[in-house]
Amino acid sequence: MSAAVMGAPKVPRLRLPQGHEALLLITLAVLVAGIGMFSHGAFWSRINLDNLFVSSAITLIPAIGMTVVILTGGIDVSTGSMLGLTAAIGGSCFAAGWSLAATVPVFLLTGAGLGLVNAVLIIKGKIPPVIATLGTLSIYRMIVFIVLGSNWITQIPPVLTRVFVVDHALWLPVVALIALGFVIVASLFLRYFRWGRHVYALGNNEEAARLAGIRPERIKLAAYVMLGLLTGFAALLTLGQSPMVQTSTGSGFVLQVIAAVVLGGTSLSGGRGTMAGTLLGTLVVQVVDDGIVLLHIQPFWNGVALGVIILAAIGLSSRRDAGGM
Amino acid sequence: MALVELKGIVKRFGGVVALNGVDLTLVPGEAHALLGENGAGKSTLIRVMTGAIVPDEGSITVGGTTCRFTHPAQASAAGIAAVYQEPMIYPHLSVLENIFAGAEMTGRFGIVRRGAMAAVVRPLLEQLDLPASLLVRRMSSLSIGFQQMVLITKALMLNAGVIIFDEPTSILSQAETDRLFVIIERLRRDGRAIVYITHRLDEIRRIASRVTVLTDGRVSGTALTSDLDEAKLLTLMAGKASRDYGKPLRDRAAPAHGTPALRMAGLTRAGAYQNVDWDVPAGQVTGVYGLVGSGRSEVALAAFGALRPERGTIALEGRPIAPRDPAEAIRLGIGYLPEDRKLQGIFATKPLEANLTAGTIGRFLARGGRLDFAGLRGEALRLIGYYRIKARDETIGIGTLSGGNQQKALFARWAGQSLKVLILDEPTRGIDIGTKAEIHDFIRDLAAGGLAVVVISSDLPEVLAVSDRIIVMRRGGVVGVAEGEAMNAEAILASAVGADARAA
Amino acid sequence: MHASGFDRTRPLLLAAMAVLALAGFAIGHPDILSGANFDSMAVFGVEIGMIALGQTLVISGGDSGIDLSVGAIAGLAQVVLGRLLHADVAWPLAVAVTLGAGLGLGAINALAVTWLRIAPIIATLATLFGYAGLALVLSGGTNIDLTQQSSWFLALGQGHVLGLPFQLIVLYLPLLAMFAFLQHGTFYGRALYLTGTNDRAAALAGLRVGRLRGAAYVLCGLTATIAGIVGAARLGTTRPDAGMNDNLISIAIVVLGGTGIFGGTGSVVGTALATVVIAIVDYGLSYNDFNPIYQAGVIGVILIGVILVENPVLARRARRLK
Repeated sequence: MSAAVMGAPKVPRLRLPQGHEALLLITLAVLVAGIGMFSHGAFWSRINLDNLFVSSAITLIPAIGMTVVILTGGIDVSTGSMLGLTAAIGGSCFAAGWSLAATVPVFLLTGAGLGLVNAVLIIKGKIPPVIATLGTLSIYRMIVFIVLGSNWITQIPPVLTRVFVVDHALWLPVVALIALGFVIVASLFLRYFRWGRHVYALGNNEEAARLAGIRPERIKLAAYVMLGLLTGFAALLTLGQSPMVQTSTGSGFVLQVIAAVVLGGTSLSGGRGTMAGTLLGTLVVQVVDDGIVLLHIQPFWNGVALGVIILAAIGLSSRRDAGGM
Repeated sequence: MALVELKGIVKRFGGVVALNGVDLTLVPGEAHALLGENGAGKSTLIRVMTGAIVPDEGSITVGGTTCRFTHPAQASAAGIAAVYQEPMIYPHLSVLENIFAGAEMTGRFGIVRRGAMAAVVRPLLEQLDLPASLLVRRMSSLSIGFQQMVLITKALMLNAGVIIFDEPTSILSQAETDRLFVIIERLRRDGRAIVYITHRLDEIRRIASRVTVLTDGRVSGTALTSDLDEAKLLTLMAGKASRDYGKPLRDRAAPAHGTPALRMAGLTRAGAYQNVDWDVPAGQVTGVYGLVGSGRSEVALAAFGALRPERGTIALEGRPIAPRDPAEAIRLGIGYLPEDRKLQGIFATKPLEANLTAGTIGRFLARGGRLDFAGLRGEALRLIGYYRIKARDETIGIGTLSGGNQQKALFARWAGQSLKVLILDEPTRGIDIGTKAEIHDFIRDLAAGGLAVVVISSDLPEVLAVSDRIIVMRRGGVVGVAEGEAMNAEAILASAVGADARAA
Repeated sequence: MHASGFDRTRPLLLAAMAVLALAGFAIGHPDILSGANFDSMAVFGVEIGMIALGQTLVISGGDSGIDLSVGAIAGLAQVVLGRLLHADVAWPLAVAVTLGAGLGLGAINALAVTWLRIAPIIATLATLFGYAGLALVLSGGTNIDLTQQSSWFLALGQGHVLGLPFQLIVLYLPLLAMFAFLQHGTFYGRALYLTGTNDRAAALAGLRVGRLRGAAYVLCGLTATIAGIVGAARLGTTRPDAGMNDNLISIAIVVLGGTGIFGGTGSVVGTALATVVIAIVDYGLSYNDFNPIYQAGVIGVILIGVILVENPVLARRARRLK
């Protein structure tokens, strides 16, 4: 990142810890090389790469928000249901004939609103994040059902697919560029902006941060709302990838997002993690998924592979940190 | 810099009076040492000064203006900063960020101006002889000594007129300590007021020009260091070394012969202790005295299987042992009562009975693995009665008991097991005098019954009253074993604080 | 106070909720109070209830203990069982092997949490992935038909004893009794409560914290497996995704039943009562043609509601302790 800081002598960037990202890069390289080879080059086809990038983008955007939430020491497992509900509400607007310009804000506001509900339950209601979001996971899913009944929504304007998925810029599908842009912005924010640094301070030592004048509640609130907002946006993009909404839309999505973030080196206890890690984690998750399809391995092995990778990756770093008694 | 005066500070916590009308004057350019036993009120006083707690009565005046701190930020603004023993840090952030967290310098849109911040800090680092490259290091990668230095830098940045050091050297090496003193001297010459809390005689002489002693929440004496010779200083620090607890000192046992119940030889663990020899005879109370940071608990944990040594041997009744976890140590017959009863001792939300029998559950099993509730209850009642624990019955939550009764319960937990060695780590910390005396009686009784008892304590009068012999530790090493005639307050204190090593 | 921290208010609250729920549904459809409906309620409750028993132990062990993979274990167990039965393995042996497999799955969770020291949420999330995936692999993504199996086997899920469902009388209630005994009447139970309250103190008191917690995960795997086996016998088919909702529901039941999420308190008795409440609510909803998604949603509301109501009470109690 070049961002020269106000003409002062350069202070070298913080060295990244543990070479975790190096490990991820190597893993990614090995995976890509292996899959590329065993699929007889099918991996490198335009179609496959495009698919890969689109899926990665859709996972990555909420993963950015999830990273911040986990950095503050919290977690949100309701992301999948949020995606579904936002898609259902937004999709209903499309089906009712609303224009794109009118509906896009609906996606974003709904997402942010759902995130706000989570935030209030956790911060004001003092419910542990895991429990609160497990609860909203099913509540939101129920509302999806109420909104949709057993109908599907298929009247999605094809312009979404065209703009986000089909159109390319710089050889990448637009949606991937957008995701990349978000990652860069988020990374800059966390790294160079005061509130970004406060997120880390909060995750490192909430007590000290509070005494230093930082307000944990505000930061956490913003984190959950942002996650909701990004999820809302991801819902819109999902409709570009596959233009329909069912009651099951988004089911299981959160597992991928959390896997991506955690693989990327963000510590569940907060205070540690980078956007670059999340980006790499997302790619690993999606490449594994892709590889399983390409190599004609039964798609069911996807879950197993992911589970093993997570256990191995975290187990290794956990044991290193655990140390003595 | 301004004169800071504390007048008549009173602070109560529930029924306990922690500070009972304390007056303290901090003169710019003067280093003021603050002494006192554990529980005397030093930490509370510091917290009042830094705005972490609000006093019930009394006033704080900075440069003639009366201040009222309800939040640490206000104390910082008034120029009062503290450097604690265990620094409150952000482990995964850089040094620069640790210094500026919450107070970052920002430009447009809130962008953190790292360059500007670094520029502000660099001259301060120079003052402290610290390399500028420190700024990008991760805080957790620094030794505690350097972490302290970072916090001092932070205090300098606040342009603190008062810098409080709370026993900073207990975990520092000699080299780090020397460096710290150079810095403190510079700070003092800049016109800041330094408050220095310590137990160490040599440090008082090196650093402070004035000494104040706190006892039981009150100032029991204050003088210029130059007016005190070594003997007077020692007496001041030893306090009421010959204070008795209402019972005559027991007849000390004669030096033991034969195989000690527990013998540790050459025990070494980098960063904690080196070449430690402990001989603990059965039927006697062996005191282990030393200041905080002298490594006593770590050595004890080695015998207890909780913190393995790197080198050395442990022998129980002559047989070599190497317990891998506390469960094994207990099976071998070694018990350990932890320093911090709240965090490591009691199960606060559980009933007294569960706490008392936590170590002996296995003894109360009926056929089929069934818990023998009658037996558990009986044992609990027996222990409550025998140790005179003041509780309504065995079913109330232990968290509702007073500190003294909680400690008695922990003691009872161990005493109810069949042990060969029992190590008690600060067994009467934060407890009222009456209960202290009771526990001392229990300790003597245990030893009289044949048990080898180790009492680790930083309370000199207690150690003297209760022990048959005293191992003195300092900075991770054993500096002496006092028996018989040599067991007197001045001598022990002298070796613990290194009065004899002052020439070094 | 009781060593388990179990007091009387929660069970009373739950009993009241059960009655209220039942009454509420009965007003709409009085015939819900028929024997056949109780039967169905019980049958549903048994499976989810058994999973919740194991989850209770895991959560009460403390240190954010949780098992998110329970549903996946139930599903995988069904698939293993189905494959064995289709390979003409005698059903008692097949069941035994499946139980063994379940213990193994729980053991993997135990190792990940206690030996690899991975945070339970992540560890069991990973095994959730893994086990669900394996279930799909082994079943080829399809259901395995079991309707041709021995009627003795099918009785596990469809049989009746004294007019009540077999799995309730012969499996759930004895299991509940055993777990209650384990929790309240044995060394293990007492030690687990202490561990959940303060694991550092427990270790220093000589309790082997890793083993205690690990055992909870193993037992949790076992109960989930039993639930899976019963479910397969009941429907006469194995579904690899059988337990997908059960993860949430089991945690909701445990928390509703009074087990604090941070460990050290609670009882399987409370869990059982909460199971009754949830079973009633769930069944009542499906009786009124609400679909499983509603059931999960309502449970989510109940879960959040209970904690919101409870927190101020707990806070007041903690203040009094200071």
